[in-house]
Amino acid sequence: MPVEPESPTAEIRHLRRCINDLVSVLALPATWTGGTASQIVGASLDALVSMLSLDFIYARLREPGGTEFSDMVRVGSNWESKPGPEELREKLQPWLENDPEKVPAVVRNFLGKPALTLIPFQLGLHAEIGVIVAGSQRADFPQQTERLVLNIAVNQAAIGLQESSLLSAQRRVASELDRRVAQRTAELAAVNEELKKEIAERKSVEERLRKEETELKGSEAHKAAILNSSLDCIVAMDHEGRITEFNPAAERTFGYGRENVVGKHLADVIVPPSLREKHRAGFARHLATGKSQVLGRRVEMTALCADGREIPVEIAITRILRDGPPSFTGFLRDISERKRNEGALLETHAKLARSEERWRSVFENSAIGVALTDLNGQFIAANPVYQKMLGYTDEELEQLSFLDITVDEDRDLSSVHTAELLEGKRRQFQIEKRYRRKNGSTVWVRNSVSVVSGTEQLPGFLMALSEDVTERRIAEEALNETRSELAHMARVTTLSTLTASIAHEVNQPLSGIVTNASTCLRMLDANPPNVDGARETARRTIRDGNRASEVITRLRALFNKKDLTLEVFDLNEAAKEVVALSVSELQRNRVILQADLAAELPSVLGDRIQIQQVILNLIRNGSDAMSIVNDRARDLLIKTECDEGGAVRLSVKDSGVGIDSEIEKKLFEAFHTTKNDGMGIGLSVSRSIVERHQGRLWAIRNEGPGATFLFSIPCSTNT
Amino acid sequence: MKSLDEGGGVPRPLVAVVDDDESVRESLPDLLREFGFRSKVFSSAEEFLASGTASQMKCLVSDVVMLGMTGFDLQQELKVRGHKIPVIFITARKDETVRRRALEQGAVGFLLKPFSDTALLGALNIALGLD
Repeated sequence: MPVEPESPTAEIRHLRRCINDLVSVLALPATWTGGTASQIVGASLDALVSMLSLDFIYARLREPGGTEFSDMVRVGSNWESKPGPEELREKLQPWLENDPEKVPAVVRNFLGKPALTLIPFQLGLHAEIGVIVAGSQRADFPQQTERLVLNIAVNQAAIGLQESSLLSAQRRVASELDRRVAQRTAELAAVNEELKKEIAERKSVEERLRKEETELKGSEAHKAAILNSSLDCIVAMDHEGRITEFNPAAERTFGYGRENVVGKHLADVIVPPSLREKHRAGFARHLATGKSQVLGRRVEMTALCADGREIPVEIAITRILRDGPPSFTGFLRDISERKRNEGALLETHAKLARSEERWRSVFENSAIGVALTDLNGQFIAANPVYQKMLGYTDEELEQLSFLDITVDEDRDLSSVHTAELLEGKRRQFQIEKRYRRKNGSTVWVRNSVSVVSGTEQLPGFLMALSEDVTERRIAEEALNETRSELAHMARVTTLSTLTASIAHEVNQPLSGIVTNASTCLRMLDANPPNVDGARETARRTIRDGNRASEVITRLRALFNKKDLTLEVFDLNEAAKEVVALSVSELQRNRVILQADLAAELPSVLGDRIQIQQVILNLIRNGSDAMSIVNDRARDLLIKTECDEGGAVRLSVKDSGVGIDSEIEKKLFEAFHTTKNDGMGIGLSVSRSIVERHQGRLWAIRNEGPGATFLFSIPCSTNT
Repeated sequence: MKSLDEGGGVPRPLVAVVDDDESVRESLPDLLREFGFRSKVFSSAEEFLASGTASQMKCLVSDVVMLGMTGFDLQQELKVRGHKIPVIFITARKDETVRRRALEQGAVGFLLKPFSDTALLGALNIALGLD
């Protein structure tokens, strides 16, 4: 638009204003130091829009990165309705899009304004920063000064923006650098850490290795020591079969020095010639197939020594696996000693086994029963004979004790004997007793029982040798009966013989007496009487009478011979015999004899004849005591009974005159007799007989008339 | 003692007494004399046989059981020797079998000691057939 030129004052004023504006614009950078792009632009736009009273000023900035834009607007005050940035953007868009240079100078109908002058300014040399578009509807817009101010302001802004972008770029770089540095530092630090760790690891590995080495050294030394000190031969060999190690024990055993054999083939050194081929073949096969009959096991072989001896050895060969070819280690032991010992041991073992077998067969095949019990009497073992005898199997017996199978009556005796055995009072005992068989029947056995003391390995036990004596006992009982019958017969015979011999002995002088006395009478009857002859014959008579007396005395002494003929007999039977002998005499004397003999009287051990004499004595005395009794029955009672204390007692009770206190004391004195024709052996002899039988003889007054004479003798114990 | 010769008759018979018991040998001769016999005593059968007087004896009074030869043996021996002397046995043994045997063997008498004088006299009379 052509404009009128200004007056000089107005010009000066104008210029002054321009300079002020320039000064202000030039001062702007100070305000946006360190500011952001928008601050810079914003400040610039603010300043410009007011300074130049623009209608608007629009800035479009390229974003860092280059493709995006941001824009900013400052709008003057002279608008009816102020446009927003979008409107302006929209309006300017087409031109800005293509080429900012082509922004028209004047635009008509720009947002309600009839005509608007636009001036684009490039930010940056090639609008790379952005574009500013100033717009005013003043006709004289833009004056030179305005254009100048705008240029400078835009340049300032551009510089500022550049600086800012540089700064931010710098900052970015710096921060990037920082970041990078930090990153790097971090990386380095991390790496450092890694390195440190690695070093530490390496150190520890080294440490470990060092330790291992030491250990290895130690164990090497140890191993060497083992090898050297080993009593077993250790021979190592390589894959070719050459000796690589030969320890001192091997040196000793085989008689080679190590240096002499290392490198040589094992086969040639210690394998006997006869086995070499087999060895080589086996070795070759192993190397080829990996199989071996000797690896990994102990085998017995023969080995050759330096002096040519072949010795039995035990070998264990192991293979050492390594990279490369294998090597082998052999552990050998000279077992000659062991072989010898084995032989001896086998022999001993065989002997022991034979002995064991023998004793077992003794046990099994023994002709009599053998049974073992523990110390409580519980069965441990019983041989077949014993089992058969009892009818129990050995398993059944193991549930029982010996008392369980002993009949009740015999248990006490059994227990007593066993107790004595266990207390050590006896070493062994014999007992005849009865067992009860499984089927309930009884068997008589004769047991020999002993105790076997315990040792550390074996507890003590009782051993019984048990013989079935049932048959023998039956036979014995029969025999006893027969024997007692025989004895009885013998006794009777002896008695009669005795009597006969007594008669004979006495009859000799008696005969003389009768003859002489007869002669004497005849001589006196002669005419004239033969007095001398009579005297002589009378003398002879007296003499013979004395002789007869002596004979009797002698016989009585014979009767009382000190030594007893011992036998086990039944007192009842003996008493009955005496009674039988006395019956006629007693009947003659009108004595009523009664016998009360105990049913089961135990046997006694003694001289049967002498005891019978005692009984006879007592019976005769009893009878004699009643010889003057006429007012009452002449009762004679013979009684036998069992004493408490295990003795048998015989008593003869009469109803006679009783015992006078005067004669009581003298009753048992020797030679005391109240009888004129004492033919009995007398109470003193009776007593001495009884006492010789460990018994006693005594007398008591009856409650009624008469007296009772008693003797007791111990009964025999059954063995 | 009266001699038989003084009476002027038959000589009194001679009796042999054989017994190992002294009291018998001592007492019997006197009793026999009272009976009117003469006697000779011998302590054993052997002594009697050795004496050689058997033929003179009219009777033999003998014990049965003696040491050495018994009375029975003596009886047998006399028979063997052909002496027919009647024998009277005197014995202390009361044994029926002995008695029977004695009688079987032809003994005239068998007397048990102590025997009465009359019993002996009876046996002697039988032996000498004087009954």
